[in-house]
Amino acid sequence: MEATAIHALLVEKLGDAALEYVDALEKGTIVAPDKIAEAATILRDDPALHFEQLMCLSGVDWDGYDDSGKGKSVQILGYDELGKPEQSDRVGEGDLGVFYACYSHRHGHKYSLFTRVPRDVASVPTVSGVWPTAAWHEREAWDLVGISFKGHPDLRRILLEDGWEGHPLRKDYVMPSQWQGVPLEGQDYAKNPFSEDDVVLPERPVEEG
Amino acid sequence: MSDTTLTNGWEYQDKPREMQSELLEINMGPQHPATHGVLRLLIKTDGEIVHTVTPYLGYLHRCAEKIAEGCDWRQWMVYTDRFDYLAPMNMNFGYAVAVENMLDVTVPERAEYIRVICAELQRIASHLIAIGTFGLDMGAWTPLLYCFREREEILNIFERLSGGRMLYNYFDIGGVRFDTYDGFEDEVLHMVNVMEQKLDEYNTLLSYNKIFIERLADVAVIDTATCYEYGCTGPVLRGSGTPFDCRKDDPYSIYDRFEFDVPYGMGEQGSVGDCWDRYMVRVRECFESCRIIRQAVADLPGGDIMSPDLKKLVKVPQGSLYTRTESSKGEIGFHIIADGGSKPFRNKVRSPSYSNLHVIEKVGPGMMVSDLVATIGSLDIVLGEIDR
Repeated sequence: MEATAIHALLVEKLGDAALEYVDALEKGTIVAPDKIAEAATILRDDPALHFEQLMCLSGVDWDGYDDSGKGKSVQILGYDELGKPEQSDRVGEGDLGVFYACYSHRHGHKYSLFTRVPRDVASVPTVSGVWPTAAWHEREAWDLVGISFKGHPDLRRILLEDGWEGHPLRKDYVMPSQWQGVPLEGQDYAKNPFSEDDVVLPERPVEEG
Repeated sequence: MSDTTLTNGWEYQDKPREMQSELLEINMGPQHPATHGVLRLLIKTDGEIVHTVTPYLGYLHRCAEKIAEGCDWRQWMVYTDRFDYLAPMNMNFGYAVAVENMLDVTVPERAEYIRVICAELQRIASHLIAIGTFGLDMGAWTPLLYCFREREEILNIFERLSGGRMLYNYFDIGGVRFDTYDGFEDEVLHMVNVMEQKLDEYNTLLSYNKIFIERLADVAVIDTATCYEYGCTGPVLRGSGTPFDCRKDDPYSIYDRFEFDVPYGMGEQGSVGDCWDRYMVRVRECFESCRIIRQAVADLPGGDIMSPDLKKLVKVPQGSLYTRTESSKGEIGFHIIADGGSKPFRNKVRSPSYSNLHVIEKVGPGMMVSDLVATIGSLDIVLGEIDR
């Protein structure tokens, strides 16, 4: 089924909650956050769509994203060239987002859902009742990005320790200097020695064969 | 001395006391050979029967997604090696394809063929570990040593190709880092010929061994619907009787040029989707990988190994894309969000073992504790990829 037709079907079922059609590399619909579970149910249960598998669910912190396409997010965020925040007291501003990539084995088509929530009310209904695999992906999104999922059966941290403070993939996250008495001295990232004008050349001569 | 007291002082009871049982909590791991890495399973058992299984992850978390914020696009390739450290070529492949899809760059033909040869050799190497350690879990020592012997040959080829024995960092965005060495084709073909004979040997030794079959048939049956629900992919999904393979059904790179079959579980020894089916899918995939390698070596063209129009500091145009490829464990997906700059805005990894392990919460309850070991072995998880 064509992506535009899937979007039309979502608009028909969800009305105003299907906010916008995304016609980029990744085709999908932006859905209002409180209707995301309903949208997921439609995607799974509608016989014409039948998205029985959730391939990926990722949480995103859109804070400081450069919409102009010039790639200035790093400067907006105030990162130094090694990727560390220069100011430790900067408060994040942008929305948080969740991305759902679905695949239908029966029809062989893909579709995506996007949703965005404001930073101060970072809560989205869970889709773990629709696709059980989402349970762990949502725990990861909670753990690393700090998006809480309403109705999740077991929303605990999954990769980090239970007592960890903060959510590391937030763009305003600053690494603590110690944790439970263990000093956390991060190593600096290596600086890339190349400039933008260097052209890649094969290191060895190309053999005919 | 009353007649209900025995000579040793114990009291004799006419009737047994009322039996009481309670759930016993056992930690399996994180340091346990059968968990295939630093995985902790909190098991509640009712005697020998598993009541609930709760995996605890994160012992090998290395913040790869956070590190991506400070790397440029090429630099992060080295971290993909460390996800599935038993199949780094497949991880490299996934990330390279994901970034190239957003760049819309044409990878030279020669590089594509070298990539496919490497990825398939790596798939065999990874499956050899899966086969060997699975045998080990089931009490068979010898196959492990045999499998490592054959894997060594593949590692030697990779070492001569890339310089690394375990982590290669061989793929690059736009091609591969080094060209092949003299005699690469002959070595690979020799390896493939040997491999096919050895696989027959493993089948005799392990796959069709009566003890092995009795141990695994009808254990931990996972059906296709459960696989879809829990996002299981790769040999776990194929073992459940669904011949789905990204190389075939969602082709990337040049996989649509090769002729190969997708093995799937048929319930030969028990029911469809049992441990033996998942195991056997891996053995059969090794044969199919050999077929692909033969075709790729025969067609290997000359020419560039790196896209000439790509700058060293790659800038990826603004956008968001989820790309999946087929690694040895299943569907490795990279969800990439770029802002047009030289650094990733968000690189999310959807690793196959993460979802494949999740299903243990569903199939674990009700089985014997020893079958849980068989189930984990048949899922073939790698913790580097789960914890990232």
